[in-house]
Amino acid sequence: MTGKVAIVEVAQSPGGESGDNYLDQVYRICKEVLDKAGMKRKDVGTVVSASSDVFHGGVSCANAYYWDAGAGFLKNGSRQDGESLFAFYYGVLRILSGHYDTALILGVCKGSENPDNDMLTHFYTDPFYQRPLGMNETFAAALQMRQYLDKYDVTEEQCAQVVVKNLGNALRNPYAHIRKRVSVEEVMASKRIMDPLKQMECAPKSEGFIALLLASEEKALELTAKPVWLKGYGASMDTFYMGDRDLLSSQLTNAAKKAYSMAGIADPKKELDVAEITEPYAFQELLWYEGLGLCGQGEGGKFIESGATGIEGEVPVNPSGGVLATNSYVSRGLYRVAEVALQIRGQAGERQLDKKVNTGLAHGTHGFAGQCHAVAILGI
Amino acid sequence: MGKNFETLEHQVWLPYKFSVGPVFNRFFEGLKEGKILGNRCPKCNKVLVPARSFCPECFVDMGDWEEVSQEGEVVTWAQANYEFFGAPAEPPFIGALIRLDHTDCNFLHLVGGFDLSDIDAVKSKVKSGARVKAVWSDVKKGHMLDIKFFEPE
Amino acid sequence: MGRPVAIIGAGQTKHGNRSEITYPDLVREGVKSVFEDAGVGPDDIDGVVFGTMPSMMEGVALTHFYFADALQAVGKPILKSETCGSTGMSLALTGYYWVASGMADMVLVVGSEKMHEGDSQATMTTVAEPFYLRYFIAGAPGIFSLQSKLWIDRYGLSEELVRDAAAKISVDHHNDAFDNPVAHIKKKLTMDDVKNSKVVVYPSRLWDICPNSDGACGVIFASEEKAKKICRNPAWVKGVGYSGEEYWFDDSDKVVWKSAINAAKQAYKMAGITNPIEELDVAEIYNPFTYVELLHYECFGFCDFGKASDLTLKGIFARDGKLPCDPSGGVLCTNPIGASGLIRVAEAAMQVTGKAGDHQIEDAKLGFAHAMGGASQFNGVMIVGSEL
Repeated sequence: MTGKVAIVEVAQSPGGESGDNYLDQVYRICKEVLDKAGMKRKDVGTVVSASSDVFHGGVSCANAYYWDAGAGFLKNGSRQDGESLFAFYYGVLRILSGHYDTALILGVCKGSENPDNDMLTHFYTDPFYQRPLGMNETFAAALQMRQYLDKYDVTEEQCAQVVVKNLGNALRNPYAHIRKRVSVEEVMASKRIMDPLKQMECAPKSEGFIALLLASEEKALELTAKPVWLKGYGASMDTFYMGDRDLLSSQLTNAAKKAYSMAGIADPKKELDVAEITEPYAFQELLWYEGLGLCGQGEGGKFIESGATGIEGEVPVNPSGGVLATNSYVSRGLYRVAEVALQIRGQAGERQLDKKVNTGLAHGTHGFAGQCHAVAILGI
Repeated sequence: MGKNFETLEHQVWLPYKFSVGPVFNRFFEGLKEGKILGNRCPKCNKVLVPARSFCPECFVDMGDWEEVSQEGEVVTWAQANYEFFGAPAEPPFIGALIRLDHTDCNFLHLVGGFDLSDIDAVKSKVKSGARVKAVWSDVKKGHMLDIKFFEPE
Repeated sequence: MGRPVAIIGAGQTKHGNRSEITYPDLVREGVKSVFEDAGVGPDDIDGVVFGTMPSMMEGVALTHFYFADALQAVGKPILKSETCGSTGMSLALTGYYWVASGMADMVLVVGSEKMHEGDSQATMTTVAEPFYLRYFIAGAPGIFSLQSKLWIDRYGLSEELVRDAAAKISVDHHNDAFDNPVAHIKKKLTMDDVKNSKVVVYPSRLWDICPNSDGACGVIFASEEKAKKICRNPAWVKGVGYSGEEYWFDDSDKVVWKSAINAAKQAYKMAGITNPIEELDVAEIYNPFTYVELLHYECFGFCDFGKASDLTLKGIFARDGKLPCDPSGGVLCTNPIGASGLIRVAEAAMQVTGKAGDHQIEDAKLGFAHAMGGASQFNGVMIVGSEL
């Protein structure tokens, strides 16, 4: 990092379907984060939002629609498509450039106004070779899951444990969408929609309005007693055609390596106090444990079984309930960052971990079988 | 808040004309003739199928065309048991990545030609490594589904 | 303010109707052209910035996936900046801030569009939300014609005078395009040809309006150290600015157009420019509509409010005038929307480094690049110069 940037405040909306007007929801979440920071809209330096036109209720140029509701009037701001961690990082860059002291980062995705994610992710395909075969994120994930189960010692039951853990964690998260106690048996018995993937292993479609306020070192110390600093960031893209990919060895390792290196982390399992991982398909949480270096290749199943990623474990993963509990698609990366920040600040309410949380990891992914990964390390 | 507000329903339909370009065009012409065409990167020598205009790794124009084998091995597969937008067939159907013999990437297509109602029977037939062979439609239009599916041997 | 940032290369595809190749191939053509111009390759690049108009335009969503290979972005971090018509400038700004922050030393910035694959006006209709606006606003010409009329009425301008000025702009740019090898529409027109062409949305006629173009543009931003090592003759980013108004058209005044005025002011302040018409050597303004180009001259302080038509007719903004505007032919001749704002930056950089070939403005040292987006909602400016 060429300087210090902190998260000074967080405001998130609950993930459940809401009949509210979406512009009102954007406005309220921005107002909330500003009020919490004791700032007025005019004092914010820049606004970087995240949204995707195809996940935007059929209204394209999303940034135009919510610009003023999103605190952007007459500001120099921008917008990232696809991955809200990109918006987070771009806000950081704008502050590090010296042009701005503060940045409002906004994630906008109203699941209840959109068609199914399967329909929308289908449009990532090229029109010629993959679209005729109906490729979408669920189809891609199922191909990846089969290969994972075939190659390694990972069982379907171990994959199902991710659902049990995360939906159970969500019971203590008032912002989560799906919050319930389920059993491995229930998950295993749910419809095998894209065998080996089961219905309950696939993330829902949730509302996601979220705002973070970032500040430069000097400004952060003025605005809050508990700044959460960005320690490291890495992101990486994979190649496009499914047939060209090694589905089990993703760019996550590359992204994590860059983030760890920046943050000076040599042993993530020991040095991370918490991790919020984007797991739209349950087995992917196990695969991403491996990509993040929390355990060895093929060991993801054993790792979850060991309890290491449970609430009381060595590296609690997804105390918020993760994406299986709340899938606001575009915004979900920022929800990961928010949870880590809240845990570090001791503001995670009922789900606050019972240990000192100094360093955490927030991860975002999107695209077929994780074609894109972004990792942020946050700390005190 | 938000309990009794109305919902405005709306559909958006937009027309498209995708440019196929010479390389994909030739691939689709090949399908019409019952051939699967790949091409070779002059730099790394990999054979990619379906044919591409440039090698993604080397970033150079692809070179020689090759009619590739219509047989190969299943690399991974998934059975769809639900209806979804853009699906290539009515459920149940099997989508798979297949390594056609003597090529260097996986070919996305369907595996079929047998009863899919018993998943355990399916699993014994379609494991990774299973040999499959292309089965063609009678009518070929220059579309990926000119190949009906790949059938296990 | 942040470390200095250079532009070490710029490249464009041949713009126009590129239906003979696929969209990824078009993007690749743009990427190859900028690598060639800069003399660097994919391995030198630390990060990639990409963006286009909304997914609906070409029927593929989140195109950073589809084009990952054409962009040579595999293994790299990317940022996907998209802000409607101002996308091209937002892309350039992203590249700028990334290098200025010190978190990257060399960034590849690419914008593209392949409008012949979709229905651009239908797509633009989806920009209007379905509750209030969609029934009334169909496509782009409606909005800009409304704005032009507001401007004419505000200053009590003679419609004939304005009509002549707009026609001159059209005649000049379409003719200038002959000296730009990559421009789309090149045509020898007379004032009458323009004034008698078919009305699209009054007062805009056919020749007042940009085409639908396919094209891609690449620009490479680099740190001072890298630039001085690799590039004999870099352009330097001297000033940046961007501003956005409300979504609801005309809540803000579209005549004394704050976002345009502010964007330029921010850039002038950073560049230390106090008298733009004297200090700038060339301007590449985002000009899909002739009438609105006139309005932009005023908002950028090139002349007083209400006076743009007079000065245009005097030739002040022509290629041989005091401040040549859009010697490339501008967006009026070439509009692959996602790339158009970036093309303005590319053209300005080419001008101040003496690489604009047949449309070079002699001795250009300071260039102004601009893009506009939304329903006259966003304006972005980047000023580039030949000196650090």
